[in-house]
Amino acid sequence: MTATAASRHLASCRICYKLADANLHKCPRCKAALHLRKLDSIQRTLALLITSCLLYIPANLYPIMITDQLGTSEGSTILGGVIILIHHDAVPIALVIFLFSVLVPLGKLMTLFYLVWTVKRHSPVSPRQRTVMYQITEFIGKWSMVDVFVVAILVALVHLGGVLSIRPGVAALCFAGLVVITMIAAERFDPRLIWDEMEEKDRDS
Amino acid sequence: MNGDIACQSCDLLLSVASLKDGETASCSRCGHFLTRKLTDPYGRVISFTIAAIILLVMANSYTFLSFGASGLESVITLRETPGAVWKYGMPFVAIMVAAFIIIIPALILVLLLLLCIPLHEGRNRPWLAAAAKLIFLTQSWSMVEVFIIGVIVSLVKIADIATVELGISFWAYAGFAICFTLAVSSLDRYQCWERIEALESA
Repeated sequence: MTATAASRHLASCRICYKLADANLHKCPRCKAALHLRKLDSIQRTLALLITSCLLYIPANLYPIMITDQLGTSEGSTILGGVIILIHHDAVPIALVIFLFSVLVPLGKLMTLFYLVWTVKRHSPVSPRQRTVMYQITEFIGKWSMVDVFVVAILVALVHLGGVLSIRPGVAALCFAGLVVITMIAAERFDPRLIWDEMEEKDRDS
Repeated sequence: MNGDIACQSCDLLLSVASLKDGETASCSRCGHFLTRKLTDPYGRVISFTIAAIILLVMANSYTFLSFGASGLESVITLRETPGAVWKYGMPFVAIMVAAFIIIIPALILVLLLLLCIPLHEGRNRPWLAAAAKLIFLTQSWSMVEVFIIGVIVSLVKIADIATVELGISFWAYAGFAICFTLAVSSLDRYQCWERIEALESA
């Protein structure tokens, strides 16, 4: 017979993993707030996801960096940067940037929306599969910061008087915000909600 | 069944009391990692942490990258990377970059020493729980390994307009990233808190 901590009214501390009576509201070991499930997990995740979606638009429309060369300025967007790299025959690096800056943020948003939706709709999709999806989303999130770091390095490195210099564009701020907010959104989502559904069904049958 | 840990991913109650040195426990229902028992974990953390601190100081002391085109040259240190972004009017991005690649990792390293030296020696200190709490709260925000990939991508991006050379600092930072990752991953959350509790109640 298997049992969940919640079915015994035990809350598992998110900081130190201590199991304690949920009525304590405060972890007896590390004094962190104690809840059976993350507080308002679905609402908070959704709110952060919507913010991320809004940031995704300017992050892709505006230039992430601007190159000033001999009096002319040229901005390049995230996708534009990928295309330039392909023209320069740097296909592996173009793929890395495309993966981390385009596919990962988009995939993350869609996966989290999907997970929230399945929890809300009491979906019968295998909880184990959904847990793996969640774990991948959580693990991969910070790798999207690569593009922001690239901009920071190039801005610092490339400034040769009036000949050649690189400035950060508005999209750098939007994109950094997007990555941070989706990371928080993933953190706010409670994967245990995926399994709670199954528990309820088992109890009913 | 008397459980002493709940899976963080699916809330199943499990017992890990019989875990031996060198063994790893995963959840039987969802496969999520639970805890791992290492031989001499705190000794390992301390060694990697000291190595990482030395390398981080080195990474901040020398040239990080140098860049030359049409007879002109520009040289940067590690700290100038967020600094330049700040100068171009993006303080938020600059603070994020500085925090993710230098400040948070450095803070975690100091906290690891404050936590693991007493744990290694088996002594209770009043700050143990506070230090551990701060480590586990901030560790997902360190992006040292991501930054290394960022440097490599930048090099490829400007390889055909200029000659770029990697300075001593870059290699020191790469070594730091490896030691830092090993130090953090050697500290097992469940085992570490069990030890803190045992020391505090002794």
